[in-house]
Amino acid sequence: MLRGFLVLVVFFLLGEALRLVAGLPVSGGVLGMIMVTFTLMLRGKVSDELAEASRGLISVLVLLITPGVVGAFFIVDQFSGYWTTVLVALVVGTLLSVFTTLLLMKKVTGAAVEGDEHD
Amino acid sequence: MTESSLSTDALTVLAAGPMLSVALTLGAFLAAQWLFARFRKPLWMPPVLIAAVLLALVVAVSGLGFDRYYAGASWLTVLLGPTTVALGVPLYQQMHHIRALWKPIVMTLPLAATLAAVYALGIAWLMGATPLVLASLAPKSVTAPIAMGIAEQVGGSISLTLGALLITGVLASLFVDWTAKWLKITDDRIIGFALGLNGHAIGTARAFEISPTAGAFSSLGMGLTGVFTAVFLPLAFQLVEPLL
Repeated sequence: MLRGFLVLVVFFLLGEALRLVAGLPVSGGVLGMIMVTFTLMLRGKVSDELAEASRGLISVLVLLITPGVVGAFFIVDQFSGYWTTVLVALVVGTLLSVFTTLLLMKKVTGAAVEGDEHD
Repeated sequence: MTESSLSTDALTVLAAGPMLSVALTLGAFLAAQWLFARFRKPLWMPPVLIAAVLLALVVAVSGLGFDRYYAGASWLTVLLGPTTVALGVPLYQQMHHIRALWKPIVMTLPLAATLAAVYALGIAWLMGATPLVLASLAPKSVTAPIAMGIAEQVGGSISLTLGALLITGVLASLFVDWTAKWLKITDDRIIGFALGLNGHAIGTARAFEISPTAGAFSSLGMGLTGVFTAVFLPLAFQLVEPLL
């Protein structure tokens, strides 16, 4: 568990280092995630320690984002002129993008299944 | 009078360290999970929303204030970095799903993930949103730890981003249900993928309620959208920002 956690923290630090050195506009966590995925693909297996640590952290993900979400209730005044815009953009935008995704996937998987019988 | 100054003193002392914020957050998290199960897991009221409402009430009423609460809670939020890295592990574990369905995924993902941001940004821009609001809305379909990183990179407000994320996740779960029925889609893989791509972790929680297959494809959609958006959005924003 602790060894797995150390691996995750080290990859996070590597990601941060890469971001700073290469001047990338992508967060260190994301770079670390990409590096972990590629490292695992190269090794072809994931250790129990790492799998356990990542499961543990992901299971408390909701706990970790909650403090930031609380902040949304304290910025209502700050963005008071924009709440209609934000809500319309989110409702209409999400409906359109859900529709597009489902339609695209339906068309593309339908075509793939027809062209290639064994899925 | 003495009683109220005593309680103010007590609050000042307790709020000096991070443990009050940590305890409040843990308590709200557990209470939210209990309430969520108790209300039979409503789609429109995920645990994170229940926990945030409870905490906002306590933080406002107790006089602790958001800034002091958030400073203490940074002992928890600092773990978001390694947790983002941890998302790479299930992504690797689902690699065989990607291999089996790579063609439709490769053909759909870049366009769908781009549109997930562009539709909302276009509407907000037409309605006259400021660059700060646009930057905060841009990562709305991306899972929280990645979205917070993106919002920071493109100069958005993290709290507004998280609010937008929450609304998007809840809406996506509802809309995928409706639209899939309307388009007569019954393939759990497609439904799961759409849930993860549009509704990040909240959509993925919903997908696991449908079936394990939907859940796996939702994690996949969430992970790929996160990586794709995290890499391309800040770059795209650098190009577009001078025009705003």
